Amino acid sequence: MNRKTRRALALTSALAAIIALSACGGGAASGGGGSTADSGPIKIGIIADLTGATGDVGTPYNEGMMAYIDSINAKGGIKGHKIEAMSNDYAYKVPTAEELYKKYVSQGAVAIQGWGTGDSEALRTKVANDKLPFMSASYAEVLTDPAQSPYNFVVAPTYSDQMRVALNWIAKDAGGKAEVAVFHHDSPFGTAPVADGQKWVTEKGLNLGFKAYPMPKTPNQVGLLSQAKSQGAKYIIIQNVSSPAAQVAKDILAQKLDMKIVCLNWCSDELFIKTAGNEAAEGHILISPFAPASANKDGNKAVDDYLKSKGSSLANKGLHFAQGWHTMDVMAKGIEKALGDGGTLTGQSIKAALESMPAVDTGGVVGTGKIKFGTDSHRGSTGTGIYQVKAGIMTEIQAGATP
Amino acid sequence: MATATGIHHRSYRAELRLRHTRAEYLRLALMAALLLSLPYNLGVYWLGIANSILIAVIGAVGLNILVGYTGQISLGQGGFLAVGAYTSANLSERGGLPVPLSIAIAVLVTALIGALFGLPALRLKGLYLAIATLASQEIILFVVRRWSWLTEGKGFVEVSRLEVFGWQVSREMFEVQWYWVLLAITTLVVLAARNLMRTALGRAFMAVRDQDIAAAAIGVNLTRSKVTAFAVSSGFVGLAGALTAHYTETVTWERFTLDVSVLYLAMIIVGGIGSIAGSVYGAVFIMLIPTLLTEIAERLTAVAPVLTEQLPAIKNAVFGLAIIVFLLVEPRGLDRIWTRVKDYVRYWPFRY
Repeated sequence: MNRKTRRALALTSALAAIIALSACGGGAASGGGGSTADSGPIKIGIIADLTGATGDVGTPYNEGMMAYIDSINAKGGIKGHKIEAMSNDYAYKVPTAEELYKKYVSQGAVAIQGWGTGDSEALRTKVANDKLPFMSASYAEVLTDPAQSPYNFVVAPTYSDQMRVALNWIAKDAGGKAEVAVFHHDSPFGTAPVADGQKWVTEKGLNLGFKAYPMPKTPNQVGLLSQAKSQGAKYIIIQNVSSPAAQVAKDILAQKLDMKIVCLNWCSDELFIKTAGNEAAEGHILISPFAPASANKDGNKAVDDYLKSKGSSLANKGLHFAQGWHTMDVMAKGIEKALGDGGTLTGQSIKAALESMPAVDTGGVVGTGKIKFGTDSHRGSTGTGIYQVKAGIMTEIQAGATP
Repeated sequence: MATATGIHHRSYRAELRLRHTRAEYLRLALMAALLLSLPYNLGVYWLGIANSILIAVIGAVGLNILVGYTGQISLGQGGFLAVGAYTSANLSERGGLPVPLSIAIAVLVTALIGALFGLPALRLKGLYLAIATLASQEIILFVVRRWSWLTEGKGFVEVSRLEVFGWQVSREMFEVQWYWVLLAITTLVVLAARNLMRTALGRAFMAVRDQDIAAAAIGVNLTRSKVTAFAVSSGFVGLAGALTAHYTETVTWERFTLDVSVLYLAMIIVGGIGSIAGSVYGAVFIMLIPTLLTEIAERLTAVAPVLTEQLPAIKNAVFGLAIIVFLLVEPRGLDRIWTRVKDYVRYWPFRY
């Protein structure tokens, strides 16, 4: 045996040893699905976007969650257990979200609150494997199916349902043939409801033309509007965040076009009106599953009271604050039921509790007002409010509209 | 042999060795012991970070072959990672191929696409080439975002848990088992790259980098060298991409943006352009910065809550600062710093 072959042999056997070791390796035990001791805190991992691409709406959402936790801890927690929230900014970057998630799992989190479509999709299989219930502000259809996403829970109507409601409203408002242009964010979040919208038009035989356009990252949307104009569009459904949607509103006003914007939930907020200005925003339709302060729903009273005690108000913070608050509330209700059912608190027991608990009454704030999950569906709600901007105020024109 | 005046060789054979001194073997043994003991000492979280680092090492080694050794600057790293990830994920999930085979095919496909996008390198140099590779990044990302059949219209591909010839990674031991798999692959990759640079092909790469006209004059086929460099480099990067796909179990385009290309360039700048060891140091350094900053901010959150609040901004600032400091103080990176430290000790008390 010459030196070369001997060395090669040594290398191969070393590798074989490494691979063999992998079968029995030991030190790092799994941290997944940590349980909570009798009076120990309930650990919830929160993945928030405070400074990233969606930080403008992500910040009030996160503040809402933290405020809810603060208020429930002030009342002594859930059945004597305080909630320990681990909240970190991931700046809308998927790898950072994964890193944070791993950290939360190793620190014994029993539930995870996420944020965007990107991180919800990336973590979907992981939460299923680690058996940790996961909620986020992404309302994609795929997350509602327990067969595909067993540990994801969606509190609000999906983007597809919002799209269906929007199309129904347009068909009624137009009263005849109308052209609809869909302006969407160029991402999985943006395209999520497009195909389902097209299907809805055909299925229901709505007398609508339907064409989708990805929104370019240009300073104005005049180019896109001229495309919509040549389509003959009278209605523009926007699946994007507030600032670009507000730009569309401004451009419509500047170009003196006869078009009505119908915003799905991520541009349906006070920020849209503020950015566009009262004049440009006037008359446009906002499909929002979460009621703003201006709708005066009972469920928002507790939120407003909390904020008033801190010297602010819901009108000031905007509806995404309420969105975060109520999302955390649903998770807390699940945890409360799981604790009541006895046994140790684990991700699995929270999942079972969320699926079996009675409908959560959100006091008219979310969807049709009630959120209910089942073992065969994690679609919490199908209804949504429809609002119209009147003199800079979101005015309710229909509550709990379902497709 | 190593003496106080430097390393001297008495035969060609001795000079050709990968390692020259006993100290090098000792350090290798220490490093091996450290790497082998990691899973027994680290928790799941840190082991997960170790795994991300191992994958990043493969990608950085690949990029360094192209940028550091052949002198062809590339901003297309993210795109090539995407090619590897999407190819392997689709072949194993929808094609039903065994994972090792689909990873191997992904490597070849990425090498092929890399070579294709390397063609402009025959005419372009420096900044112009950088822009051409930027185009490749954007084109590849456009394709994976728009060709909906790649993701069955979902926008992302789900990858099932790694299974090799009936052996499947278990949930409880996920990070540990992946660590062994990745450690073995990364070790092989680093060894292969290290040796590649000692072959005629590797020397041709370096000749092209140092002076392409002179290289052509002494008989190096420029066309072949450049295209091969793109292919070899992309092959490694494709491997990193494919492993990312199987390790993270979800393939989404958001993981392969231009940021990632820049991040990898930062790794080889910080580690050392034109050094395989440097790629390893750089990958470890750049991947650890954000994690360590998070730890520090957490420890100091009571004293300085602003650290936690502004963490992403601080991460960006530190990242930028690290690159500027390295470019100013030691453009040849961590590898060169390490060499200087060794020389200082070896020649002490003399200066050189």
